[in-house]
Amino acid sequence: MATQTESPTDDANRSPLQAWTHGVITDQEKQDRLYKALFYVAAVFFLVTTLFPFYWLLVLALTPNSSILAGDWSLPVIGLEFPHPQGFNVVAFVEVFQQVPFHLYVFNSFVLAVTTTIIVIAIASLAGYVFGRLEFPGRGPLLLGILVISYFPPAAFLIPLFDAFLGNAVVIPFLGIEVFEPPRLVNTPGAMIMPFSALFLPLSIFILMTFYGQIPDGLEDAARVEGTTRLGALVRVIIPLSAPGVATAAVLTFIAVYNEYFFSEIMALENVPQNWSPLVGGILSYQTQYTTDFNLMAAASIVGVLPMLILVVVAQEKIVSGLTAGALKE
Amino acid sequence: MSTEGQTKGTDSAARKSGPLVAITRWLENLGETAFAYLLLTPVFILLGSIALYPLLRTLELSLYINVLGAGDPEFVGFQNYVEMFTGARDSDFPGSTTFLPAAETSSSFPFVHIDGWLRSALVVTLLFTFVSVFFETIIGFGQALLLDQEFRGRRWLRTAIIIPWAIPIVIQGMMFYLMFHPSTGFLTPYLSSIGLVAPTNTLNDPWSATLIVIVADIWKTSAFMALLILAGLQSIDRNLYDVARVAGATRWQQFKMITFPLVLPAVGIAVLFRTIDAMRIYGLIDSVSSCTVVPSLSCMVVETFNTSRGLSSAVAFVTAGIIGLIVTVVIYQQYREGI
Repeated sequence: MATQTESPTDDANRSPLQAWTHGVITDQEKQDRLYKALFYVAAVFFLVTTLFPFYWLLVLALTPNSSILAGDWSLPVIGLEFPHPQGFNVVAFVEVFQQVPFHLYVFNSFVLAVTTTIIVIAIASLAGYVFGRLEFPGRGPLLLGILVISYFPPAAFLIPLFDAFLGNAVVIPFLGIEVFEPPRLVNTPGAMIMPFSALFLPLSIFILMTFYGQIPDGLEDAARVEGTTRLGALVRVIIPLSAPGVATAAVLTFIAVYNEYFFSEIMALENVPQNWSPLVGGILSYQTQYTTDFNLMAAASIVGVLPMLILVVVAQEKIVSGLTAGALKE
Repeated sequence: MSTEGQTKGTDSAARKSGPLVAITRWLENLGETAFAYLLLTPVFILLGSIALYPLLRTLELSLYINVLGAGDPEFVGFQNYVEMFTGARDSDFPGSTTFLPAAETSSSFPFVHIDGWLRSALVVTLLFTFVSVFFETIIGFGQALLLDQEFRGRRWLRTAIIIPWAIPIVIQGMMFYLMFHPSTGFLTPYLSSIGLVAPTNTLNDPWSATLIVIVADIWKTSAFMALLILAGLQSIDRNLYDVARVAGATRWQQFKMITFPLVLPAVGIAVLFRTIDAMRIYGLIDSVSSCTVVPSLSCMVVETFNTSRGLSSAVAFVTAGIIGLIVTVVIYQQYREGI
């Protein structure tokens, strides 16, 4: 045990703290125990800090608004100030949908996210096949170009896009030649799906490129010998064999669109579901119109966050592998 | 490489006819390069129209004034850029024209007069980026070290740590809005008593709001850092640790001599990614506080693009330029390492 190596007199001369530190420094077993303790302290710390905001939302959603405004968070018996639900006001989760049509905003978000995901996966599949399996001149610079474009901030694209989506003529920069007059797209899904697709396409290209590139050439050749075309081999052999990669890219694109803020807020001119305003509009309309309904803001946030919570728990492995593959690729 | 079976598909297809067959045959007979560029066409169209065209058009618009007015747009060269830096167009921006109150002390710096809008935006954006990325790196490193251990419930700890990353920005903003709003925030009294945030009107106080936005961003994005660093940690050869243990190295020595130097490249890449991403900050500011209180570069673009489009384009292009500079550094580094 810990003290066996030391003489009793040594120990007697030390204060308890000194004795303990000395033990930790000399004794491997005590060292391990300290290490373990520190590990658990850190783990609990991160658990508490990451989960606390969710707890706070739950507290606010379950507490009737009058109690929130009273602002007294002291615990009943001890008197210590600590946020806890004051009551069990589940009605807030019903009122969320009555005050504003919150379900319509969430529905819009789902439609936008699913449509964007389908478009992105289709285009990125072709591009991933090209970059992952074909050798051709210009491959490196093109890949780099796609990478660079994905770094630019949405604000750098906003002004001309907004102009075009308002239905103003698209003009070739610096030449002044009008190309065509696009249809008015603001307040329609198109005004959001197009920027979303461009914004999140590069990540999917990089993920799919990695996965498609790993399929052995032999399998593709075998399919070709059977008489399949090149595209047929992509659709019938490469994509099915890369199903985990496709799922990863799809999950990440879906999350990214559902969570997007910039274009979601700007391209719907008013925060109403008829203008295809997504989740962002729903939450913001509580913040701007019903400025004191704090319990409803919290309840709306919980409802809006649930799909993402479920997705993270279900598709955790895919998210982790996709993020690291996509980011560390190049 | 797979050899191109130029004749394979055609043999069977030649016996049939019709437009579909003709297209298929034409596709099959394309050379590899032509085929590659053909398949990339959708990418070119999408990125060209949604990214490249707007970028160039923004540059063009930034050289004009009166883009939205009744008269014709007037070409003014770099006037928008100059006036934006000298503060001559501050009246075009909504809200008060000061982000930081101490204009007298700040004028001792040659460039960063903090009283103008663009300078405020630069300061806010850079301050936000550096502080949040710095803390995200440290916290993400800590989280990655935890997740690198083998223990029961590791999957659940990882889930908990990833969850903030998957939260919609607007809901993240709402969480911190509700945590610090004077009517609901239970934290505000404590934090204001130690002087960290303003006691009243917390979310409309520039310093307090900036601090809250930074904390909110650290809460959400540390997980992303952690995942990238974790990938770096797990690529370290475990045999190195066995050798070190046999040689009698302590855990700290193992960390200092093996883990840290080997994981540093992964940390570097993660930091660059996050820096580029953090420079775009807009949504969080808009939902926690307001763009007129905490003006970031993207904020300024959004606040002005409906009123003075030339100026707004100039700000947008400056933002793109700063990010382009960092991207160049990234690419140069990748290039040196020889991809």
